[in-house]
Amino acid sequence: MSGLAILGQNVFSGIAIGGVYALLALGIALIYRSTNVTNFAQGDITMLGAYALYILLEQLGLPYPIAFLLAIVVMGIFGWLFQRFVYYPLRNRSFLPVIIATIGAGILFQNVALVVFGSIPRKVNPVFASGGFTVGGVYFDLQYIVILVVTAALFVFQYLFFEHTSLGKKMQATAQDKTMAQLLGIPVALMIAFTFIYSTILGAIGGMLVAPIYFVTNRMGSTLGLKAFAACICGGFGDVRGALIGGIAIGLIEALGAAYIAPVYKDAFPFLLLLVFLLVRPQGIFGEKVSEKA
Amino acid sequence: MMLEMKGVSASYDAVQAIRDVSLEVNEGEIVCLIGANGAGKSTTLKVISGLLRPNAGEVIFEGKQIQKTKPEEIVRLGISHVPEGRRVLPGLTVRENLELGASVRKGLSKADLNKEIEHQYELFPDLGRLRNALGWTLSGGQQQMLGIARGLMARPKMLMMDEPSLGLAPIIVKQVLETTKRISKEFGTTVLLVEQNASMALSISNRGYVMETGRITMSGTSKELLSNPQVNEAYLGGRSRKLKG
Ligand SMILES: Nc1ncnc2c1ncn2[C@@H]1O[C@H](COP(=O)(O)OP(=O)(O)OP(=O)(O)O)[C@@H](O)[C@H]1O
Ligand SMILES: [Mg+2]
Repeated sequence: MSGLAILGQNVFSGIAIGGVYALLALGIALIYRSTNVTNFAQGDITMLGAYALYILLEQLGLPYPIAFLLAIVVMGIFGWLFQRFVYYPLRNRSFLPVIIATIGAGILFQNVALVVFGSIPRKVNPVFASGGFTVGGVYFDLQYIVILVVTAALFVFQYLFFEHTSLGKKMQATAQDKTMAQLLGIPVALMIAFTFIYSTILGAIGGMLVAPIYFVTNRMGSTLGLKAFAACICGGFGDVRGALIGGIAIGLIEALGAAYIAPVYKDAFPFLLLLVFLLVRPQGIFGEKVSEKA
Repeated sequence: MMLEMKGVSASYDAVQAIRDVSLEVNEGEIVCLIGANGAGKSTTLKVISGLLRPNAGEVIFEGKQIQKTKPEEIVRLGISHVPEGRRVLPGLTVRENLELGASVRKGLSKADLNKEIEHQYELFPDLGRLRNALGWTLSGGQQQMLGIARGLMARPKMLMMDEPSLGLAPIIVKQVLETTKRISKEFGTTVLLVEQNASMALSISNRGYVMETGRITMSGTSKELLSNPQVNEAYLGGRSRKLKG
Protein backbone atom coordinates (compact mmCIF):
# COMPACT_ATOMS: atom_id res chain seq x y z
CA MET A 1 0.00 0.00 0.00
CA SER A 2 1.46 3.36 -0.97
CA GLY A 3 1.79 6.16 1.55
CA LEU A 4 -0.85 8.13 -0.27
CA ALA A 5 -3.25 5.20 -0.29
CA ILE A 6 -2.78 4.74 3.46
CA LEU A 7 -3.52 8.39 4.01
CA GLY A 8 -6.55 8.19 1.71
CA GLN A 9 -7.80 5.11 3.53
CA ASN A 10 -7.59 6.75 6.92
CA VAL A 11 -9.12 9.98 5.75
CA PHE A 12 -12.02 8.04 4.22
CA SER A 13 -12.76 5.97 7.29
CA GLY A 14 -12.09 8.92 9.61
CA ILE A 15 -14.66 11.09 7.84
CA ALA A 16 -17.20 8.25 7.77
CA ILE A 17 -16.94 7.45 11.48
CA GLY A 18 -16.81 11.20 12.10
CA GLY A 19 -20.20 11.40 10.38
CA VAL A 20 -21.64 9.14 13.08
CA TYR A 21 -20.16 11.34 15.80
CA ALA A 22 -21.66 14.31 13.99
CA LEU A 23 -25.15 12.76 14.06
CA LEU A 24 -24.91 12.14 17.80
CA ALA A 25 -23.46 15.59 18.34
CA LEU A 26 -26.30 17.13 16.34
CA GLY A 27 -28.80 15.42 18.63
CA ILE A 28 -26.99 16.74 21.70
CA ALA A 29 -26.80 20.23 20.17
CA LEU A 30 -30.50 20.42 19.30
CA ILE A 31 -31.60 19.41 22.78
CA TYR A 32 -29.10 21.80 24.32
CA ARG A 33 -30.39 24.66 22.21
CA SER A 34 -34.01 24.09 22.99
CA THR A 35 -33.75 23.22 26.68
CA ASN A 36 -30.26 24.24 27.85
CA VAL A 37 -29.86 20.68 28.99
CA THR A 38 -26.95 18.47 28.03
CA ASN A 39 -28.28 15.00 27.35
CA PHE A 40 -25.66 12.62 28.70
CA ALA A 41 -27.78 9.64 27.67
CA GLN A 42 -27.31 10.33 23.96
CA GLY A 43 -24.55 7.69 23.69
CA ASP A 44 -26.71 5.05 25.33
CA ILE A 45 -29.64 5.97 23.11
CA THR A 46 -27.29 5.15 20.24
CA MET A 47 -26.67 1.75 21.80
CA LEU A 48 -30.42 1.15 22.07
CA GLY A 49 -30.80 2.07 18.40
CA ALA A 50 -28.19 -0.55 17.51
CA TYR A 51 -29.99 -3.19 19.60
CA ALA A 52 -33.33 -2.22 18.03
CA LEU A 53 -31.85 -2.88 14.61
CA TYR A 54 -30.32 -6.12 15.88
CA ILE A 55 -33.69 -7.43 17.08
CA LEU A 56 -35.61 -6.44 13.98
CA LEU A 57 -32.96 -7.47 11.46
CA GLU A 58 -31.17 -10.44 13.01
CA GLN A 59 -33.71 -11.92 15.37
CA LEU A 60 -36.94 -11.24 13.49
CA GLY A 61 -35.28 -11.49 10.08
CA LEU A 62 -36.97 -8.44 8.57
CA PRO A 63 -35.51 -6.95 5.38
CA TYR A 64 -33.06 -4.09 5.96
CA PRO A 65 -35.21 -1.14 4.84
CA ILE A 66 -38.18 -2.30 6.92
CA ALA A 67 -36.03 -3.08 9.95
CA PHE A 68 -34.34 0.32 9.63
CA LEU A 69 -37.59 2.28 9.35
CA LEU A 70 -39.29 0.31 12.09
CA ALA A 71 -36.32 0.89 14.38
CA ILE A 72 -36.62 4.63 13.68
CA VAL A 73 -40.30 4.57 14.62
CA VAL A 74 -39.63 2.60 17.80
CA MET A 75 -36.79 4.89 18.81
CA GLY A 76 -38.90 7.96 18.04
CA ILE A 77 -41.49 6.71 20.49
CA PHE A 78 -38.68 5.99 22.90
CA GLY A 79 -37.50 9.60 22.48
CA TRP A 80 -40.95 10.84 23.46
CA LEU A 81 -40.98 8.59 26.55
CA PHE A 82 -37.48 9.76 27.43
CA GLN A 83 -38.46 13.44 27.43
CA ARG A 84 -41.74 12.69 29.20
CA PHE A 85 -40.16 10.82 32.08
CA VAL A 86 -36.61 12.16 32.28
CA TYR A 87 -36.82 15.78 31.14
CA TYR A 88 -40.43 16.93 31.61
CA PRO A 89 -40.82 16.34 35.36
CA LEU A 90 -37.64 18.35 35.99
CA ARG A 91 -38.13 21.01 33.30
CA ASN A 92 -38.56 23.90 35.73
CA ARG A 93 -35.56 22.96 37.83
CA SER A 94 -32.03 24.19 37.28
CA PHE A 95 -29.94 22.37 34.71
CA LEU A 96 -28.09 20.21 37.23
CA PRO A 97 -30.94 17.91 38.32
CA VAL A 98 -31.86 17.36 34.68
CA ILE A 99 -28.31 16.52 33.69
CA ILE A 100 -28.00 14.08 36.57
CA ALA A 101 -31.29 12.52 35.48
CA THR A 102 -29.93 12.00 31.96
CA ILE A 103 -26.76 10.40 33.35
CA GLY A 104 -28.89 8.13 35.52
CA ALA A 105 -31.09 7.22 32.55
CA GLY A 106 -27.99 6.32 30.54
CA ILE A 107 -26.76 3.98 33.27
CA LEU A 108 -30.21 2.43 33.48
CA PHE A 109 -30.29 1.82 29.71
CA GLN A 110 -26.88 0.12 29.85
CA ASN A 111 -27.97 -2.17 32.63
CA VAL A 112 -31.31 -3.03 31.12
CA ALA A 113 -29.48 -3.92 27.90
CA LEU A 114 -27.10 -6.09 29.90
CA VAL A 115 -30.00 -7.95 31.51
CA VAL A 116 -31.85 -8.43 28.24
CA PHE A 117 -28.99 -9.17 25.84
CA GLY A 118 -26.23 -10.36 28.14
CA SER A 119 -22.61 -9.42 27.78
CA ILE A 120 -21.94 -11.30 24.55
CA PRO A 121 -21.32 -8.83 21.70
CA ARG A 122 -23.97 -9.14 19.00
CA LYS A 123 -23.24 -8.99 15.31
CA VAL A 124 -25.34 -7.02 12.83
CA ASN A 125 -24.90 -7.50 9.09
CA PRO A 126 -23.95 -4.53 6.92
CA VAL A 127 -26.52 -2.92 4.63
CA PHE A 128 -24.85 -4.35 1.53
CA ALA A 129 -23.48 -7.88 1.67
CA SER A 130 -20.96 -7.30 -1.12
CA GLY A 131 -18.45 -5.51 1.12
CA GLY A 132 -16.80 -2.83 -0.97
CA PHE A 133 -14.49 -1.90 -3.81
CA THR A 134 -10.95 -0.63 -4.30
CA VAL A 135 -9.96 2.53 -6.14
CA GLY A 136 -6.32 3.65 -6.33
CA GLY A 137 -5.32 1.39 -3.50
CA VAL A 138 -8.03 2.71 -1.17
CA TYR A 139 -10.68 0.22 -0.06
CA PHE A 140 -14.14 1.77 -0.02
CA ASP A 141 -16.24 -0.24 2.41
CA LEU A 142 -19.87 0.07 1.35
CA GLN A 143 -21.05 0.41 4.96
CA TYR A 144 -18.83 3.49 5.31
CA ILE A 145 -20.30 4.88 2.12
CA VAL A 146 -23.79 4.26 3.53
CA ILE A 147 -22.74 6.20 6.63
CA LEU A 148 -21.50 9.12 4.54
CA VAL A 149 -24.62 9.23 2.40
CA VAL A 150 -27.02 8.99 5.34
CA THR A 151 -25.12 11.61 7.35
CA ALA A 152 -25.02 14.01 4.43
CA ALA A 153 -28.73 13.45 3.75
CA LEU A 154 -29.62 14.09 7.40
CA PHE A 155 -27.64 17.32 7.56
CA VAL A 156 -29.29 18.53 4.35
CA PHE A 157 -32.66 17.60 5.83
CA GLN A 158 -31.73 19.41 9.03
CA TYR A 159 -31.00 22.57 7.07
CA LEU A 160 -34.12 22.42 4.89
CA PHE A 161 -36.38 21.55 7.78
CA PHE A 162 -35.19 24.15 10.25
CA GLU A 163 -34.69 27.01 7.82
CA HIS A 164 -37.55 26.45 5.42
CA THR A 165 -40.53 24.98 7.23
CA SER A 166 -42.93 26.64 9.61
CA LEU A 167 -42.50 23.84 12.15
CA GLY A 168 -38.72 24.22 11.96
CA LYS A 169 -39.01 27.95 12.63
CA LYS A 170 -41.31 27.32 15.57
CA MET A 171 -38.74 24.92 16.98
CA GLN A 172 -36.05 27.57 16.51
CA ALA A 173 -38.24 30.16 18.22
CA THR A 174 -38.74 27.76 21.13
CA ALA A 175 -35.00 27.28 21.41
CA GLN A 176 -34.35 31.03 21.34
CA ASP A 177 -36.98 32.34 23.75
CA LYS A 178 -39.56 30.05 25.32
CA THR A 179 -41.66 32.79 26.92
CA MET A 180 -41.91 34.73 23.68
CA ALA A 181 -42.66 31.54 21.77
CA GLN A 182 -45.60 30.93 24.13
CA LEU A 183 -46.88 34.45 23.60
CA LEU A 184 -46.79 33.81 19.85
CA GLY A 185 -49.03 30.81 20.40
CA ILE A 186 -46.37 28.18 19.83
CA PRO A 187 -46.99 25.03 21.90
CA VAL A 188 -43.61 25.03 23.57
CA ALA A 189 -43.89 21.68 25.37
CA LEU A 190 -44.78 19.99 22.09
CA MET A 191 -41.85 21.63 20.28
CA ILE A 192 -39.50 20.37 22.98
CA ALA A 193 -40.99 16.89 22.71
CA PHE A 194 -40.38 16.99 18.94
CA THR A 195 -36.80 18.03 19.56
CA PHE A 196 -36.24 15.06 21.86
CA ILE A 197 -37.88 12.68 19.41
CA TYR A 198 -35.78 13.96 16.54
CA SER A 199 -32.55 13.93 18.55
CA THR A 200 -33.22 10.40 19.75
CA ILE A 201 -33.78 9.29 16.16
CA LEU A 202 -30.50 10.92 15.12
CA GLY A 203 -28.62 9.06 17.86
CA ALA A 204 -30.37 5.81 17.03
CA ILE A 205 -29.54 6.12 13.34
CA GLY A 206 -25.90 6.67 14.36
CA GLY A 207 -26.09 3.41 16.32
CA MET A 208 -27.66 1.53 13.42
CA LEU A 209 -24.98 2.79 11.06
CA VAL A 210 -22.07 1.65 13.22
CA ALA A 211 -23.71 -1.56 14.41
CA PRO A 212 -22.23 -3.59 11.50
CA ILE A 213 -18.79 -2.05 12.06
CA TYR A 214 -18.44 -2.46 15.80
CA PHE A 215 -20.09 -5.27 17.68
CA VAL A 216 -23.25 -4.29 19.52
CA THR A 217 -22.69 -4.29 23.27
CA ASN A 218 -24.37 -2.59 26.19
CA ARG A 219 -21.27 -0.43 26.67
CA MET A 220 -20.85 0.73 23.08
CA GLY A 221 -22.66 3.99 23.77
CA SER A 222 -20.22 5.25 26.40
CA THR A 223 -17.30 5.85 24.05
CA LEU A 224 -19.53 7.02 21.22
CA GLY A 225 -21.31 9.44 23.51
CA LEU A 226 -18.09 10.86 24.92
CA LYS A 227 -16.68 11.40 21.45
CA ALA A 228 -19.88 13.12 20.42
CA PHE A 229 -19.47 15.48 23.40
CA ALA A 230 -15.90 16.11 22.37
CA ALA A 231 -17.24 16.91 18.89
CA CYS A 232 -19.80 19.33 20.37
CA ILE A 233 -17.19 21.14 22.40
CA CYS A 234 -14.68 21.38 19.57
CA GLY A 235 -17.32 22.58 17.13
CA GLY A 236 -18.99 24.99 19.53
CA PHE A 237 -21.65 23.68 21.90
CA GLY A 238 -25.15 23.90 20.50
CA ASP A 239 -24.06 24.86 16.99
CA VAL A 240 -25.31 22.77 14.07
CA ARG A 241 -22.30 23.44 11.83
CA GLY A 242 -20.10 22.87 14.86
CA ALA A 243 -21.62 19.41 15.39
CA LEU A 244 -20.82 18.45 11.79
CA ILE A 245 -17.31 19.90 11.65
CA GLY A 246 -16.51 18.78 15.21
CA GLY A 247 -17.71 15.24 14.51
CA ILE A 248 -15.62 14.91 11.38
CA ALA A 249 -12.59 16.45 13.10
CA ILE A 250 -12.86 13.89 15.90
CA GLY A 251 -13.25 11.04 13.41
CA LEU A 252 -10.24 12.22 11.40
CA ILE A 253 -7.89 12.76 14.33
CA GLU A 254 -8.81 9.36 15.70
CA ALA A 255 -8.13 7.57 12.41
CA LEU A 256 -4.95 9.49 11.61
CA GLY A 257 -3.59 9.30 15.16
CA ALA A 258 -4.12 5.56 15.22
CA ALA A 259 -2.45 5.12 11.83
CA TYR A 260 0.53 7.42 12.25
CA ILE A 261 1.17 7.68 15.98
CA ALA A 262 -0.04 4.69 17.96
CA PRO A 263 -3.04 2.44 17.30
CA VAL A 264 -3.44 1.53 20.97
CA TYR A 265 -4.27 5.15 21.79
CA LYS A 266 -6.96 5.38 19.11
CA ASP A 267 -9.64 6.35 21.61
CA ALA A 268 -7.37 8.86 23.34
CA PHE A 269 -6.72 11.15 20.37
CA PRO A 270 -10.21 12.68 20.34
CA PHE A 271 -9.76 13.68 23.97
CA LEU A 272 -6.36 15.12 23.19
CA LEU A 273 -8.06 17.33 20.61
CA LEU A 274 -10.71 18.15 23.19
CA LEU A 275 -8.03 19.20 25.70
CA VAL A 276 -6.36 21.40 23.12
CA PHE A 277 -9.67 23.09 22.40
CA LEU A 278 -10.50 23.55 26.06
CA LEU A 279 -7.15 25.24 26.58
CA VAL A 280 -6.93 27.29 23.40
CA ARG A 281 -10.48 27.89 22.23
CA PRO A 282 -12.99 26.70 24.86
CA GLN A 283 -15.93 28.18 22.95
CA GLY A 284 -15.20 25.85 20.03
CA ILE A 285 -14.88 26.63 16.34
CA PHE A 286 -18.26 28.30 15.88
CA GLY A 287 -19.05 29.30 19.44
CA GLU A 288 -19.06 32.88 20.65
CA LYS A 289 -16.98 33.77 23.66
CA VAL A 290 -19.87 35.09 25.66
CA SER A 291 -23.02 33.28 24.68
CA GLU A 292 -25.21 36.16 23.70
CA LYS A 293 -28.94 36.06 23.99
CA ALA A 294 -30.42 39.35 22.96
CA MET B 1 -66.83 45.11 27.88
CA MET B 2 -63.83 43.46 26.34
CA LEU B 3 -61.64 42.69 29.32
CA GLU B 4 -62.33 42.75 33.00
CA MET B 5 -60.09 41.94 35.95
CA LYS B 6 -61.84 41.37 39.25
CA GLY B 7 -59.88 41.37 42.49
CA VAL B 8 -56.79 39.76 40.99
CA SER B 9 -53.77 38.97 43.15
CA ALA B 10 -50.63 37.29 41.89
CA SER B 11 -47.21 36.47 43.27
CA TYR B 12 -43.80 35.17 42.27
CA ASP B 13 -43.05 32.46 44.82
CA ALA B 14 -43.07 34.43 48.07
CA VAL B 15 -43.20 37.92 46.52
CA GLN B 16 -46.74 39.27 46.31
CA ALA B 17 -46.56 41.37 43.12
CA ILE B 18 -50.15 42.57 42.67
CA ARG B 19 -53.07 42.70 45.11
CA ASP B 20 -56.76 42.97 44.48
CA VAL B 21 -56.40 44.52 41.05
CA SER B 22 -59.63 45.34 39.23
CA LEU B 23 -59.80 47.06 35.90
CA GLU B 24 -61.85 47.23 32.74
CA VAL B 25 -61.07 47.73 29.10
CA ASN B 26 -63.85 48.47 26.63
CA GLU B 27 -63.83 47.66 22.97
CA GLY B 28 -61.97 50.16 20.81
CA GLU B 29 -60.43 52.02 23.75
CA ILE B 30 -56.82 52.85 24.42
CA VAL B 31 -56.34 52.31 28.13
CA CYS B 32 -53.07 52.97 29.89
CA LEU B 33 -51.62 51.60 33.08
CA ILE B 34 -49.02 53.87 34.63
CA GLY B 35 -46.87 53.62 37.72
CA ALA B 36 -43.33 53.58 39.03
CA ASN B 37 -40.75 50.80 38.87
CA GLY B 38 -41.93 47.60 40.47
CA ALA B 39 -45.53 48.79 40.81
CA GLY B 40 -46.84 45.60 39.21
CA LYS B 41 -47.70 46.81 35.71
CA SER B 42 -45.87 44.04 33.84
CA THR B 43 -47.21 41.49 36.28
CA THR B 44 -50.75 42.61 35.47
CA LEU B 45 -50.12 42.02 31.76
CA LYS B 46 -48.52 38.64 32.46
CA VAL B 47 -51.62 37.56 34.34
CA ILE B 48 -53.85 38.61 31.45
CA SER B 49 -51.75 36.81 28.82
CA GLY B 50 -51.53 33.68 30.96
CA LEU B 51 -47.80 33.76 31.70
CA LEU B 52 -48.58 34.01 35.41
CA ARG B 53 -51.46 32.28 37.19
CA PRO B 54 -53.17 34.56 39.69
CA ASN B 55 -53.73 33.19 43.19
CA ALA B 56 -57.02 35.04 43.52
CA GLY B 57 -59.53 36.84 41.36
CA GLU B 58 -60.91 36.54 37.87
CA VAL B 59 -59.81 37.63 34.44
CA ILE B 60 -62.69 37.80 32.00
CA PHE B 61 -62.21 38.28 28.28
CA GLU B 62 -65.32 38.64 26.11
CA GLY B 63 -67.38 37.05 28.84
CA LYS B 64 -65.12 34.04 29.38
CA GLN B 65 -62.91 33.41 32.38
CA ILE B 66 -59.32 33.04 31.21
CA GLN B 67 -57.27 33.13 34.40
CA LYS B 68 -56.49 29.44 34.05
CA THR B 69 -56.01 29.37 30.30
CA LYS B 70 -52.55 28.75 28.86
CA PRO B 71 -50.75 31.61 27.09
CA GLU B 72 -50.69 29.75 23.76
CA GLU B 73 -54.49 29.57 23.89
CA ILE B 74 -55.01 33.13 25.08
CA VAL B 75 -53.27 34.48 21.95
CA ARG B 76 -55.76 32.50 19.91
CA LEU B 77 -58.64 34.16 21.74
CA GLY B 78 -57.37 37.49 20.44
CA ILE B 79 -55.04 38.94 23.07
CA SER B 80 -51.58 39.79 21.84
CA HIS B 81 -48.97 40.62 24.46
CA VAL B 82 -45.89 42.57 23.37
CA PRO B 83 -43.80 41.99 26.46
CA GLU B 84 -41.34 44.17 28.26
CA GLY B 85 -37.84 44.30 26.86
CA ARG B 86 -36.84 43.37 23.38
CA ARG B 87 -38.15 39.91 22.94
CA VAL B 88 -37.30 39.74 19.27
CA LEU B 89 -36.25 36.22 18.32
CA PRO B 90 -32.54 36.88 17.85
CA GLY B 91 -31.69 34.07 15.45
CA LEU B 92 -34.62 34.63 13.09
CA THR B 93 -34.97 37.35 10.47
CA VAL B 94 -37.35 40.29 10.70
CA ARG B 95 -39.63 38.60 8.19
CA GLU B 96 -39.56 35.27 10.05
CA ASN B 97 -40.39 37.06 13.29
CA LEU B 98 -43.41 38.62 11.58
CA GLU B 99 -44.49 35.31 10.06
CA LEU B 100 -44.43 33.67 13.47
CA GLY B 101 -46.58 36.52 14.75
CA ALA B 102 -49.30 35.33 12.39
CA SER B 103 -48.84 31.64 13.09
CA VAL B 104 -51.88 31.53 15.39
CA ARG B 105 -54.16 32.44 12.53
CA LYS B 106 -55.43 29.30 10.90
CA GLY B 107 -56.35 29.44 7.25
CA LEU B 108 -54.40 32.60 6.47
CA SER B 109 -53.33 32.24 2.83
CA LYS B 110 -49.74 32.82 1.77
CA ALA B 111 -50.87 35.73 -0.39
CA ASP B 112 -52.72 37.42 2.48
CA LEU B 113 -49.77 36.83 4.78
CA ASN B 114 -47.48 38.56 2.30
CA LYS B 115 -49.92 41.42 1.93
CA GLU B 116 -50.09 41.93 5.67
CA ILE B 117 -46.35 41.78 6.07
CA GLU B 118 -46.02 44.41 3.34
CA HIS B 119 -48.52 46.49 5.26
CA GLN B 120 -46.36 46.27 8.38
CA TYR B 121 -43.42 47.43 6.28
CA GLU B 122 -45.47 50.51 5.34
CA LEU B 123 -46.29 51.13 8.99
CA PHE B 124 -42.66 50.63 10.01
CA PRO B 125 -40.43 51.44 7.03
CA ASP B 126 -37.25 50.40 8.90
CA LEU B 127 -38.55 46.85 9.10
CA GLY B 128 -39.09 46.70 5.36
CA ARG B 129 -35.55 47.77 4.74
CA LEU B 130 -34.23 45.21 7.22
CA ARG B 131 -36.58 42.36 6.32
CA ASN B 132 -33.78 39.83 5.92
CA ALA B 133 -31.69 40.98 8.88
CA LEU B 134 -31.44 38.72 11.92
CA GLY B 135 -33.27 39.92 15.02
CA TRP B 136 -30.19 40.48 17.15
CA THR B 137 -28.66 42.86 14.61
CA LEU B 138 -31.49 45.41 14.98
CA SER B 139 -31.17 48.55 17.09
CA GLY B 140 -33.26 48.92 20.24
CA GLY B 141 -35.84 51.06 18.48
CA GLN B 142 -36.07 48.70 15.52
CA GLN B 143 -36.51 45.73 17.87
CA GLN B 144 -39.27 47.60 19.66
CA MET B 145 -41.02 48.23 16.34
CA LEU B 146 -40.60 44.62 15.31
CA GLY B 147 -42.10 43.54 18.64
CA ILE B 148 -45.18 45.70 18.03
CA ALA B 149 -45.50 44.73 14.36
CA ARG B 150 -45.20 41.06 15.30
CA GLY B 151 -47.87 41.52 17.96
CA LEU B 152 -50.16 43.02 15.32
CA MET B 153 -49.59 40.14 12.92
CA ALA B 154 -51.80 38.03 15.20
CA ARG B 155 -54.63 40.48 14.30
CA PRO B 156 -55.54 40.73 17.97
CA LYS B 157 -58.78 42.11 19.31
CA MET B 158 -56.69 43.55 22.12
CA LEU B 159 -53.05 44.53 21.93
CA MET B 160 -51.12 44.83 25.19
CA MET B 161 -47.86 46.74 24.99
CA ASP B 162 -45.41 46.84 27.86
CA GLU B 163 -43.36 50.05 27.88
CA PRO B 164 -42.94 50.52 24.15
CA SER B 165 -41.09 53.79 24.82
CA LEU B 166 -38.45 52.23 27.06
CA GLY B 167 -34.94 53.11 25.98
CA LEU B 168 -36.07 54.94 22.87
CA ALA B 169 -35.09 58.41 21.75
CA PRO B 170 -37.90 60.99 22.14
CA ILE B 171 -38.40 61.25 18.39
CA ILE B 172 -38.92 57.48 18.14
CA VAL B 173 -41.21 57.52 21.17
CA LYS B 174 -43.32 59.99 19.24
CA GLN B 175 -43.30 57.70 16.24
CA VAL B 176 -44.33 54.67 18.32
CA LEU B 177 -47.07 56.74 19.91
CA GLU B 178 -48.46 57.88 16.59
CA THR B 179 -48.31 54.36 15.24
CA THR B 180 -50.18 53.08 18.28
CA LYS B 181 -52.99 55.56 17.68
CA ARG B 182 -53.04 54.73 13.99
CA ILE B 183 -53.22 51.00 14.72
CA SER B 184 -56.11 51.49 17.10
CA LYS B 185 -58.03 53.51 14.50
CA GLU B 186 -57.13 51.53 11.41
CA PHE B 187 -57.63 48.00 12.76
CA GLY B 188 -60.15 48.88 15.43
CA THR B 189 -57.75 47.26 17.88
CA THR B 190 -58.29 47.79 21.56
CA VAL B 191 -55.03 48.77 23.26
CA LEU B 192 -53.86 48.26 26.82
CA LEU B 193 -50.70 50.25 27.21
CA VAL B 194 -48.26 49.98 30.10
CA GLU B 195 -45.95 52.95 30.49
CA GLN B 196 -43.65 54.65 32.94
CA ASN B 197 -43.70 57.60 30.59
CA ALA B 198 -47.02 58.83 31.98
CA SER B 199 -47.41 62.01 29.99
CA MET B 200 -46.91 60.13 26.77
CA ALA B 201 -49.30 57.36 27.74
CA LEU B 202 -52.01 59.73 28.95
CA SER B 203 -51.72 61.91 25.88
CA ILE B 204 -52.79 59.11 23.55
CA SER B 205 -55.14 57.08 25.73
CA ASN B 206 -58.83 57.43 26.53
CA ARG B 207 -58.59 56.25 30.11
CA GLY B 208 -55.90 55.36 32.58
CA TYR B 209 -55.15 53.46 35.77
CA VAL B 210 -52.42 54.34 38.21
CA MET B 211 -50.62 51.53 40.03
CA GLU B 212 -48.58 51.79 43.22
CA THR B 213 -46.92 48.88 45.00
CA GLY B 214 -49.17 46.25 43.51
CA ARG B 215 -52.48 48.08 43.82
CA ILE B 216 -54.54 50.33 41.61
CA THR B 217 -54.75 53.63 43.42
CA MET B 218 -56.39 55.93 40.89
CA SER B 219 -58.33 55.70 37.70
CA GLY B 220 -60.22 57.96 35.36
CA THR B 221 -60.24 59.44 31.91
CA SER B 222 -56.83 60.45 30.72
CA LYS B 223 -57.92 64.08 30.80
CA GLU B 224 -58.89 63.80 34.45
CA LEU B 225 -55.66 62.07 35.34
CA LEU B 226 -53.58 64.63 33.48
CA SER B 227 -55.12 67.40 35.49
CA ASN B 228 -55.11 65.51 38.79
CA PRO B 229 -52.61 67.22 41.12
CA GLN B 230 -51.49 63.93 42.72
CA VAL B 231 -50.79 62.31 39.38
CA ASN B 232 -49.12 65.46 38.28
CA GLU B 233 -46.84 65.54 41.28
CA ALA B 234 -45.92 61.86 41.23
CA TYR B 235 -45.79 60.99 37.54
CA LEU B 236 -45.62 64.15 35.48
CA GLY B 237 -42.94 65.86 37.51
CA GLY B 238 -45.41 68.56 38.62
CA ARG B 239 -44.71 70.33 35.36
CA SER B 240 -48.16 71.19 34.16
CA ARG B 241 -49.13 72.58 37.56
CA LYS B 242 -46.17 74.91 37.47
CA LEU B 243 -47.12 75.94 33.97
CA LYS B 244 -50.70 76.61 35.00
CA GLY B 245 -49.67 78.42 38.15
N1 LIG C 1 -39.81 37.06 37.81
C1 LIG C 1 -39.95 37.64 39.03
N2 LIG C 1 -39.62 36.97 40.16
C2 LIG C 1 -39.79 37.52 41.36
N3 LIG C 1 -40.28 38.75 41.56
C3 LIG C 1 -40.63 39.48 40.50
C4 LIG C 1 -40.49 38.96 39.18
N4 LIG C 1 -40.92 39.90 38.31
C5 LIG C 1 -41.32 40.94 39.06
N5 LIG C 1 -41.15 40.71 40.38
C6 LIG C 1 -41.52 41.62 41.48
O1 LIG C 1 -42.89 41.91 41.39
C7 LIG C 1 -43.15 43.27 41.63
C8 LIG C 1 -43.86 43.90 40.45
O2 LIG C 1 -43.02 43.83 39.31
P1 LIG C 1 -43.45 44.26 37.85
O3 LIG C 1 -42.40 43.77 36.92
O4 LIG C 1 -44.83 43.84 37.59
O5 LIG C 1 -43.37 45.84 37.96
P2 LIG C 1 -43.51 46.94 36.84
O6 LIG C 1 -44.56 47.86 37.27
O7 LIG C 1 -43.67 46.31 35.51
O8 LIG C 1 -42.11 47.66 36.94
P3 LIG C 1 -41.17 48.27 35.80
O9 LIG C 1 -41.74 49.59 35.46
O10 LIG C 1 -39.85 48.40 36.47
O11 LIG C 1 -41.17 47.33 34.65
C9 LIG C 1 -41.79 43.89 41.94
O12 LIG C 1 -41.66 43.95 43.34
C10 LIG C 1 -40.80 42.94 41.35
O13 LIG C 1 -39.61 42.96 42.08
MG1 LIG D 1 -42.54 46.29 33.85
